[in-house]
Amino acid sequence: MQGSSTTPSAESPIGRILIAAMVTGFLALLIAAATAGYALQQGNRHTDWVIHTYRVESVLTEVRRLVEQKETARRGYMLAGTRPFLDSFDQASAALAPRVAELRALTADNPNQRAPMAEVLRRLAALDAVQRMTNSLVDQGRGAEALRRFRGDSGLERVRRLRETFQTMAHEERRLLNLRDAEQSANRRMFSVVVVVAGLLLVLVTLISFLTVRRYTRELGESRDALSTLNATLEEQVTERTADLALANEEIQRFAYIVSHDLRSPLVNVMGFTAELSAAAQPLAELIDRAEAEAPQIVTEEARLAAREDLPEAIGFIRTSTAKMDRLINAILKLSREGRRVLAPEMIALDQLAEQITDAIRHVIDDRGVTVTIERPMPVIVSDRIALEQILSNLIENATKYRHPTRAAEVHISAEETRGRVIVAVRDNGRGIDPRDHQRIFDLFRRSGQQDQPGEGIGLAHVRALAYRLGGTISVESQLGEGATFFLSLPPSLSIESA
Amino acid sequence: MNDHRSVGIVMIEDDEGHARLIEKNIRRAGILNDIRHFTDGTTALDYLFHAPDGPAKSGPAMVLLDLNLPDMSGTDILARIKKEGSPLKRAPVVVLTTTDDKVEIQRCYDLGCNVYITKPVNYENFAQAIRQLGLFLSVIQVPEVEG
Repeated sequence: MQGSSTTPSAESPIGRILIAAMVTGFLALLIAAATAGYALQQGNRHTDWVIHTYRVESVLTEVRRLVEQKETARRGYMLAGTRPFLDSFDQASAALAPRVAELRALTADNPNQRAPMAEVLRRLAALDAVQRMTNSLVDQGRGAEALRRFRGDSGLERVRRLRETFQTMAHEERRLLNLRDAEQSANRRMFSVVVVVAGLLLVLVTLISFLTVRRYTRELGESRDALSTLNATLEEQVTERTADLALANEEIQRFAYIVSHDLRSPLVNVMGFTAELSAAAQPLAELIDRAEAEAPQIVTEEARLAAREDLPEAIGFIRTSTAKMDRLINAILKLSREGRRVLAPEMIALDQLAEQITDAIRHVIDDRGVTVTIERPMPVIVSDRIALEQILSNLIENATKYRHPTRAAEVHISAEETRGRVIVAVRDNGRGIDPRDHQRIFDLFRRSGQQDQPGEGIGLAHVRALAYRLGGTISVESQLGEGATFFLSLPPSLSIESA
Repeated sequence: MNDHRSVGIVMIEDDEGHARLIEKNIRRAGILNDIRHFTDGTTALDYLFHAPDGPAKSGPAMVLLDLNLPDMSGTDILARIKKEGSPLKRAPVVVLTTTDDKVEIQRCYDLGCNVYITKPVNYENFAQAIRQLGLFLSVIQVPEVEG
């Protein structure tokens, strides 16, 4: 399972879904809040307008009442001529002026009200003029004239017109109020729609997030379960495979041992009877010599050639071949025996080991004129001493063996611990190894480059087999003519089960 | 071998060539005792224990034993010879084989083998070893077989 599909990072589909859901949710909330704010503002404004309308209406009513009171007072004064009517008239008159001013101010913003308002003012002024005129007639004691004039022009029509105008204004205010009411309810509906939509969106987003998280959690749970199952069986699998490997390895070892062992028996015969043959050829050769000296006529050319050249030559070839075969078989035997040897891990200071090995082959090193340097410090390792000794002495011996024809030979040995492995490097400035042969040289009986040095092609095969047994690996870095570096990578501590 | 001339040598060796080379080299060491050669375990055991002229019935003997036989392992023969109650349990047994496995050597001595010799592959060494064995045989004392 790939990590990217289960980790809720911004790159994964789940992460993207979650982020999109969150953004949508926030946007929905934001829109709902903005709409709510807007709706509140609209509501406030509407309320202001309603109050305004009611004030206009109330002032209008007040003005109408005062106009009626004024007219009633005038009429009373005209009929009775008594003081209280005049007082009432003056009182209404005084109260009317500020009210009219207020009404004017309140309706000033509405062009529809301006014309009726102007009419009201005109009619009020006209009415007032008539009323004051009749009042002053009554004041002067000419009540009859006032009444007479009243009969001619009762002012009834004027008052009626005023009433109508007031009615028009009141209607206009009502109309405005209704208009605003409609506007307000439209706003409220819009607000409701927005809130519902935002709410639905929020619910949807929450649902998507929840489902996504649940799916992710389930996937996580499944992968965790799979992982724990894998973990539980891993050890089992490793044990099983290790056992298989050990079995296969054992099989190969046994095979190598049996083959090499059984090959030895006939070889003993070949070598033994070759020796017998050689020993038997000796008296024959002597016989030919004697015959040649005493009776040359009985010695044929063929017999002489057979005894002096053919037999010794044939025996010689058989001997060199069997000797070589013997060495090869012994090599296989040695490898298989090495594979069966019980390893004994112990603490080994690598620098001391390198020192010991170079000292042990000091005479060879000096003969070949090689400078060997050991770079200190080297780590301490827990491993099998004999195997490690054989590996390093093979590598160091090889490094001193395949020298460059013109360079002074130098061998450098170093070791370091990196990332849980101990790497031992044996570097030389010798003739180098063709990269094509880098794998081959570790195979049994395979060699590389000019065959001018003694050897059977066993050393590195042995080294690799030993390295594997120690839980390590061996590799080489080299170019032809550039020297070679062999890297032995080992676990810092050899565990017996893996050996 | 001691002056008792009738001590026979029983050689159990499946490889004819080896047998021939061993015999030749023993003879070269001056050993003239009778050498009986067997190439498989069954007939060899039969001779050792049951033949009228075999060692169990008549006279002392020593055994040269190879461990790799076609019909049984040499160690089985060794165990039969050396087991408690065997008439031949004191007869010297020389194991002469190509195996130089440590475990195998230990096992043979545990079973009561008297000498364990690995056949050298190099013929000169092989011949040398057999001749030395011959010299050794010429001086060791072989006990009488218990009746």
